[in-house]
Amino acid sequence: MSNILELSNVRKEFHTSSSKRPIVAVDNISLKLEKGKTLGIVGESGSGKSTLGRLMLRLIEPSAGEIKFDDVNLLSLKNTELRKMRSKMQMIFQDPMSSLNPRMSIRQLISEPLEIHKNLKASEQNFAVEEIITKVGLEISALDKYPHEFSGGQRQRISIARAVINNPSLVVADEPVSALDVSIQSQILNLLMDLRNDLNLSFVFISHDLSVVRHIADEVAVMYLGNIVEIAPADQLFQNPQHPYTQALISAIPQVEKEKRVSRMILKGDIPNPADAPSGCNFHPRCPIAIDKCSSITPALKITGSDHLTSCHLVNEAVSK
Amino acid sequence: MKTFKQIMRRKVAAVCLVVIFLIFTAAIFAPWLAPYSPNEQFKDGLTLQGAPIAPNSEYLLGTDLLGRDLLSRLIYGARTSLVVGILANGVALLLGTTIGLVAGYLRGRLGSLIMRVTDLMMAFPALLLAITLAAIFSPSLLIVALVIAMVNWVQVARVIYTQTIAISEREFVEASRSIGASNRRILVKHILPHLMPTILVWGTLGIATTVLLEATLSFLGIGVRPPTPSWGNIIFENQTYFITAPWLVFIPGLAIITLALCFNLLGDTLRDELDPTQRGRQ
Amino acid sequence: MLNYVLRRLAQAGLILLGVSFITFALLYVLPADPAVQIAGRSATPETVASIRAQLGLDQPLLAQYWNYLSNLAQGDFGRSYLQKTEVSTLIQSRIGPSLSLMFFAILIELIIGLSAGIYSAMRRGKLSDNVVMVSSFIAISAPQFIISIFVLYIFAVKLGWFPIGGYGRPIHYVLPALTLGILGSGWYSRVMRSSMIDVLRQDYIRTARAKGAPISRIIRVHAFKNAVLPIIAMIGLDIGIFMGGIVVVESVFGWPGIGQLAWQAIQRVDIPIIMAVTLVSAIAIVIGNLIADLIAPFVDPRIRLK
Repeated sequence: MSNILELSNVRKEFHTSSSKRPIVAVDNISLKLEKGKTLGIVGESGSGKSTLGRLMLRLIEPSAGEIKFDDVNLLSLKNTELRKMRSKMQMIFQDPMSSLNPRMSIRQLISEPLEIHKNLKASEQNFAVEEIITKVGLEISALDKYPHEFSGGQRQRISIARAVINNPSLVVADEPVSALDVSIQSQILNLLMDLRNDLNLSFVFISHDLSVVRHIADEVAVMYLGNIVEIAPADQLFQNPQHPYTQALISAIPQVEKEKRVSRMILKGDIPNPADAPSGCNFHPRCPIAIDKCSSITPALKITGSDHLTSCHLVNEAVSK
Repeated sequence: MKTFKQIMRRKVAAVCLVVIFLIFTAAIFAPWLAPYSPNEQFKDGLTLQGAPIAPNSEYLLGTDLLGRDLLSRLIYGARTSLVVGILANGVALLLGTTIGLVAGYLRGRLGSLIMRVTDLMMAFPALLLAITLAAIFSPSLLIVALVIAMVNWVQVARVIYTQTIAISEREFVEASRSIGASNRRILVKHILPHLMPTILVWGTLGIATTVLLEATLSFLGIGVRPPTPSWGNIIFENQTYFITAPWLVFIPGLAIITLALCFNLLGDTLRDELDPTQRGRQ
Repeated sequence: MLNYVLRRLAQAGLILLGVSFITFALLYVLPADPAVQIAGRSATPETVASIRAQLGLDQPLLAQYWNYLSNLAQGDFGRSYLQKTEVSTLIQSRIGPSLSLMFFAILIELIIGLSAGIYSAMRRGKLSDNVVMVSSFIAISAPQFIISIFVLYIFAVKLGWFPIGGYGRPIHYVLPALTLGILGSGWYSRVMRSSMIDVLRQDYIRTARAKGAPISRIIRVHAFKNAVLPIIAMIGLDIGIFMGGIVVVESVFGWPGIGQLAWQAIQRVDIPIIMAVTLVSAIAIVIGNLIADLIAPFVDPRIRLK
């Protein structure tokens, strides 16, 4: 199976006039996504996951590293070539209201990818648009309305329709259900999964909510302050979390069934300001098992199980014994 | 929720619209409306001593220093003032919008540079320069209009610049980029429509400014030159008779005030209607 | 803080440089030839040519500009082409009247504008508020020079209360300063009103009121300081607007300031004077804006931290 997406040592720095050091939003991340698989990326706000999502599609420029989409080096593409490539890799944004132009009708919004990339006759275009709008669960009459006439969940369906109408190979969803009511969340998630299966999509699902990611992802990466601290197949991650941060996140998931409840790990402090990242392991000030080494040397992602990588000195040492 | 104030404003704005419409009509149909030719000097248009005649049954608004009918000159003057005002404003809008749009969207070095240039122009005693240029170049309607446009485009550019930046940051622009839309497409189909209210408001308010500027320049004698009548140069020509024949100054003056007030009111009301967050200064 | 001041000063310098260059370049490309004007109609081509050489008008643009700048650095604005005097002398004699008129006009604008704005803000929504705001609007929209002419006619000509033009005694100031002051106050009253309304809505004002402080004290001590901030920026802009309209204003009122000087110079294509007045106006504008930017941090400590 080939990889739809390959990131090698990708790094993104932001320079602001107020801080002397640049803010490292994404710190040397490498990962691969196989075709047809779903990768979940989990982290708090400030972890860099949204930045990573945008880097994957080269919506923002990396400071360093390589990004390969379907074996094509995205960074070597010129503007026009990159734009053409975009029909195959799409993004679903978090806030469905602001990602839809309030002055355009639904029909115009959804047709836009077709207008840009394909030269269809009006009848063919209409057909495609009508087909996709019903596929995402809305009525054809919705096409002539405007975004403000819909609820959050419906708008997200419209965004999804726009993203998949050109049959992309890769879809990156940046917190697609976080802005929605909990009751609607599962509907949209189901829609995403159905579409993924129908269209054979490779998927990147970014979220701060572990319980959401659990159902939809094949593999899950946990991010903290710009680094991946743990990455593993989904069920392995949940059954056997190795990094203390992952453990804390999982312990915080509310469980209805008493047997499944784990005692909560409460982390000290808050996530630090990315402009002022801690030395050594980013997590060490909040880590319950930190040792001296953790404050001076940055740990690397090492294999700690089958397809399971963790970035923690203690875990790595335990495994190598 | 409409307050009394809002309803009144709408009514006032409607009145202004009617007035403006009337003036426009007068300007367009000048040849049919004006009782006489604006340039014809009548023998009985002056007193025996050669002074202008007060309003009477024959010359409804009196005559000017050369015995020409003031009413006719006023009607034709509407034409001149409006043509110059609209032309100048159109150029200023076009120039200002393009520059503001490009600078606001592209940002980076080019954007900053452009904005520094507008800073520079704002520090300019531009009217002074306009006066200099208008005085020295050969007088034609076009030159006057262009000079006025040069003075006015800067304000438009700044407002459009700030707004373009704000709009470009919105997520639907990023979404369009992620679909693969070209810059041109984004500017024309996404950003420009959001700027329309602003452009409309400035289009209206701008005409007030340009009409006033034309009147000012003509009043100084360096705008539209006689014998072509413009409300400003009627005042200019008849300055010496100010004391003995004040209507020659007051009537065109009132006309200018009315036009300026109406466009200002209309523009202000439009602004409040279309974007309640913008208040106060022009 | 020092950084900020230095940066603004440097910016101001650059702007002045830019203004001088653009003005110079524009005047350079004029179709009118000053040498011809000076030489007079009956002059021979040789005379004209020698005058051009004397004035350095046959040199390339940049060379002329450089000469101009170096003279400027020594305080030498050049000599008038037509008046046989140093431009700097002319400016010196004329700038007083212009600056004093501007001062009084802005003073009146502020007195009327600020009080009207505060009055309106406190009676928000009532008839008096509407009346004040409508008047302000009319004041802003009405063309200055026409109103000035009307005022002159009614009060100086018809009623004879004031002299028609001229300068010298305090009574000469009344009509121009009052007219400009009342018309210009419209801007200030509108901004002051909205600024005051915003401030009065703040929680700390409510606290003061709850503590039982009388409203006049609240305004004086708390509200005014914060509401007046945008006004300060406006004063800087106002100086610019005044400078822009100075030719017309001084024309109408027969005021012997630099506007009138510029007007005469424009008609005679007396380039050194035009350059000088433009520069002086630009300096006034830049200083005005600079003062506004520099005072702002003191009135609003939030800006200081930047």
